[in-house]
Amino acid sequence: MNQKELIASMAAKLNTPSSVVANLLDATIGVFTEQLAEEKTFGFQSFGNFEVRKKEERLSVHPSTQIRTLIPPKLVVNFKQSNILKDKLKDLPHNE
Amino acid sequence: MNKDKISIQEIIDLVALKAAVSKRAAEEFLKVLIATIEDALMAGESVKIKDFGTFKLQWNEPRKSVNIQTGEEILLSGYHKVTFVPDAILKELVNEPFAHLEAVILNAPNDEKIEVETEVELNPLRIFEEQASEIKDLLSEIQALSSNSKKAVIENKTPEIIEEELEIEPVLNDEISLPISEVSDDVEKNSDDTNYISESEIESIEEIIETVIETPTEENSSFKKSEEKKSEIEPEKVVVSEGTFTSNPFIEIEKPKKKSRKWLWVTVVILFLVGGAVSSYFIYPPATDLVQSTIISAKKLGVRIKEMTSTTDMLNTIAKWVNPPKKEELNIETVIIPKDKVEGDSISEEETVDSLQILFDAPRIYPEYIATERIMSGSRLARMSERYYGTSDFWVYIYEANKDRIVNPDNIPTGTLIYIPKIDPRLIDATNPRCLKKARELHDLYVK
Repeated sequence: MNQKELIASMAAKLNTPSSVVANLLDATIGVFTEQLAEEKTFGFQSFGNFEVRKKEERLSVHPSTQIRTLIPPKLVVNFKQSNILKDKLKDLPHNE
Repeated sequence: MNKDKISIQEIIDLVALKAAVSKRAAEEFLKVLIATIEDALMAGESVKIKDFGTFKLQWNEPRKSVNIQTGEEILLSGYHKVTFVPDAILKELVNEPFAHLEAVILNAPNDEKIEVETEVELNPLRIFEEQASEIKDLLSEIQALSSNSKKAVIENKTPEIIEEELEIEPVLNDEISLPISEVSDDVEKNSDDTNYISESEIESIEEIIETVIETPTEENSSFKKSEEKKSEIEPEKVVVSEGTFTSNPFIEIEKPKKKSRKWLWVTVVILFLVGGAVSSYFIYPPATDLVQSTIISAKKLGVRIKEMTSTTDMLNTIAKWVNPPKKEELNIETVIIPKDKVEGDSISEEETVDSLQILFDAPRIYPEYIATERIMSGSRLARMSERYYGTSDFWVYIYEANKDRIVNPDNIPTGTLIYIPKIDPRLIDATNPRCLKKARELHDLYVK
């Protein structure tokens, strides 16, 4: 599902024109991004938590060339699903 | 790391504020958003949100584990997991505090290589200078001899001068690492040939000497003679050189170009210096009878040059099978000008390096400002530096200029007014590794 399909689907559920939904979605994503940029954690009980995690610096060795590189620390966004969502997903059949 | 958790209510408030809608509408929108994403995931789809990221469903295989209390094996069933892959824009925004850091390759053996290369580049120049000084000494000796001696004396001294030449040539050959015995044989043959020619074909050689005298003086532009005469005599010169070449068939065929080029350089320098000396004699004749002796000395020099050119020609022909007779004259400019250029470049480089060091060492004061910025939530000095100076590394200078207002550069309270200082462009040259190095040193100093 891409951005357009998401907006269309939501517009149908909310009974509002898709342009309004698009604006709202932009604003929401903007708020999420701002919060994450400030290293704030937020979440939805039924869905999961978004948080920023720090990956420490590390030394990597190239397996074939043996070049040692110092990878600097970095901040990454992490999403952890809530237990409610996990329980819901348990019912989902797994098809190879 | 501050784990500030903000509630859904706060998010709803912020969204309502940003989208200018009521809180209730924002709340409902968020609920529907989450529900829609969930539904799509349940349906096995992945959900992509622009500028944010992608939600995907991931199947974790069932795996065996051991009950730590009883020790019996248990099977953990497989389960689905929602994964979120942040978009590049979000990644960048979140990683901003560490954006200025780059991966460093350790134990890089590059420095040694560069040093070796520069040495190799300088070596030919050094040898060239040594050769030039040797040739100068020799020439001054010859001039001293020729100015004092009469005809008969000069004739006796001719072999001596040739001997001197022979002394120098092996020395040069040592530097070029040619097998000495072979070359000295060659040189002897050459000198024999040229002596033979000078005895038998005196007339033609006198003409050659004239050309030899003329060509350098024309280059010096102090002595003017008609071009026509030169062009008339030149073919004969070529003929004679070819004659010497054919009379000497026992020559090694395989000789690298490098060696022939060195010979060419030596010849070029001799031509040039002889030209200068001869022209000076012509312009300022010390005495009338000396002119005669000068001509004879020039004859000898001519013979000498002839010999040198003939060896060079031979080497050239062996190396390339091409015999450009005018190459010597053309090469004078191309050889000497680059040398001067290189020297000039190295000097100017040293100067700039020194001035940079002075610039680094001098205490920095910031009397002028190009802009002011107010710290917002999420704004960083590195980001400002990137905006104003092109690279985030130079944020240290902004910090220095605002030191009295900033307690901790990693955590500046919002609302602080930051002055962006005007900095000497040489100091913030992102292409100069020294500037970047300096900025990183300062960075280490302030951040630790």
